[in-house]
Amino acid sequence: MTAVDDVSFDVFSGEIFGLLGPNGAGKSTLIRILTTLLQPTSGSAWVDRYQVTKKDEEIRGIIGVCPQNSTLDVELTAYDNLEFYGKLLNVEEGILHDRVMQLLEMVDLTDRAHMPVRTFSGGMKRKLEIVRAFLHRPLILFLDEPTIGLDPDSRWEVWEQIEKLNAERTTIILTTHYMEEAEKLCHRIAFMDRGRLIALDTPENHKRAIPAGDLIEIGFETMKEGLLSALTATGLVKSAEAKDNRVIISALNGSRVLPSIIAVFEKFSMPMTSISIRSPTLEDVFIYLTGRKLDAGNGDVPTGGGR
Amino acid sequence: MIRGAVAIFTRDFKKFLSNPFVIVMTLFMPVMYLVIFGNAMGGTITHIPIGVVQDQPYMTETPLFTAAVEEIRNFHQPDKPSMFDVTIYSSEEVAKLALSQGRISAAVIFPSELSADHVVRVYEDSSDYMVPSLIEAGISSAMAGTGSPDPVAINRIYGQIDYIQFFGVGVIVMAIFMTTMMGGAFALIRDRELGIIEGYLVTPVKRSSIILGTIGSTTVRAFLAGVIIFIFDILITGVAVRRIEDFLLVLIVIFIASIGVTSLVVALASRFSTQQEYASVVAFFNLILFMTSGAFYPTIGMPGWLSWIAWFNPEAYTVHALRSIILRGQGIDIIGTDLVALGIFSTLAIFLGIATYRRTLE
Repeated sequence: MTAVDDVSFDVFSGEIFGLLGPNGAGKSTLIRILTTLLQPTSGSAWVDRYQVTKKDEEIRGIIGVCPQNSTLDVELTAYDNLEFYGKLLNVEEGILHDRVMQLLEMVDLTDRAHMPVRTFSGGMKRKLEIVRAFLHRPLILFLDEPTIGLDPDSRWEVWEQIEKLNAERTTIILTTHYMEEAEKLCHRIAFMDRGRLIALDTPENHKRAIPAGDLIEIGFETMKEGLLSALTATGLVKSAEAKDNRVIISALNGSRVLPSIIAVFEKFSMPMTSISIRSPTLEDVFIYLTGRKLDAGNGDVPTGGGR
Repeated sequence: MIRGAVAIFTRDFKKFLSNPFVIVMTLFMPVMYLVIFGNAMGGTITHIPIGVVQDQPYMTETPLFTAAVEEIRNFHQPDKPSMFDVTIYSSEEVAKLALSQGRISAAVIFPSELSADHVVRVYEDSSDYMVPSLIEAGISSAMAGTGSPDPVAINRIYGQIDYIQFFGVGVIVMAIFMTTMMGGAFALIRDRELGIIEGYLVTPVKRSSIILGTIGSTTVRAFLAGVIIFIFDILITGVAVRRIEDFLLVLIVIFIASIGVTSLVVALASRFSTQQEYASVVAFFNLILFMTSGAFYPTIGMPGWLSWIAWFNPEAYTVHALRSIILRGQGIDIIGTDLVALGIFSTLAIFLGIATYRRTLE
């Protein structure tokens, strides 16, 4: 069984790089290889200037990892969890206390520093675990599904946290199967499916790559003969169809062609009940690339594109 | 209500049946208890080594001596082999040396004359359980068999030792095992199940540091448990530690046993992925090692095949060493063999523990 097959890409320094794909796409396997937990059967991977499997110890010194399943010790306090990891991560003894307090401050847990992690909410635990990976100011931070199972508020806080860390010039590699997360955070996104890398680009370029372009939906009450052919005749739209009292038009640059479309409606004296323009989402990109929905067969995901 | 109960019943039973290893161990354990506990505790004590000496001055063996030795040799309980293995020593000094070194359990000194004024002196190792009273009963009965009028005087060379003192020393070993087998290893397996160990692996901490830290913490816990029980022994059961050297020697024995047992347990905990499987294996180990260690009952009372297990049992050496120091005030000359055996066990266990644990970290 090959979990990751023929995947090749570069991550630039200082960016937030997203690995996006459905469950079982091989994202975590890829992370496990890059974080030296798993040996690849073939191929090579480099983390900074060190090759995986050859310089694993050096790699562990420059990466921070927040795995998908929590590895916090819930019986210890937040402070003890961080202090303990600080020692494992070779943070200097003299600055360790200050560093721990600074990170607790960063995630608003100062007043809970000496409470056992067991008493924390899911979001607090996750934020604590993310900053734990950041104790030694790693060059690269790996976040495997950082917001899985979190409520929207907690998720928002974690996102802010990740952006703050990125602002400190940390390269961040994160996996997710939430489109809005990838869209909000990532500078570049690699789509993975069934162990393969199927596309890699910035979110904007990904969307531009969809031939269908933007979707314009215009509501109406009664259809007039010849409207659809008149719309396509303008040469500005790619397709137009009527469905459930709505005309669905796809066009490459929706907002620019909208006036011309409205002009056609006026020419036919058709009153419009609603107008909406929707940019394609990463979900649409994924469907375009694979023919399947991103969360197919998975119930725990809020679907649809965010802005 | 019934539907829910049946659902839960079915689920539990399915899980039970899905783990054949645990099923086997569950059924195996009571049977093992029967066989090992029954034999270790219920065995008849026979072949107690004792020494006999004809008191000086003498020219040839006196009739009393010849008759008494014959009686002692032949003494046995109904349908059992003879109770004593008799060695004839040439002088009282040699016999007492053998006694103090634990090679014989009693030295019997026979006077030259048959008379009520001359006493048969029995020096016995009073640190053992059951054995002293058997010796006393056997010798009295043998003397009665010879029809001689000589009275028997019993000297318990280590004083009166109660069962609680005898057993208390064994409990030190039990404390070491309980701490590591139950506390240390379960924590290790749980940490692995929770992914806490995997968390270590992406940090620059060395694999050897993880192993050293894990074995070190459990060893120290076991050591402290052993020492605390040792102090309880002194306070509650009233055993006396006579010299500071003895005290230090006890600490050394407890430490070597602790590190060996901890390493063995770390190896076991690394081999078994679930707490349930580990628990059944450890319960088995605990039974077989503790029962054959002589902590409860003298090893001399065990059938041959059980004492053969005791021969490989590090707990047996630990119990023997601790008893030698604590109850008999013996030194390194007597417990040397125990220390060597424990040293070999601990060294092997450390290598095994490191190798097995390391494999789970790769």
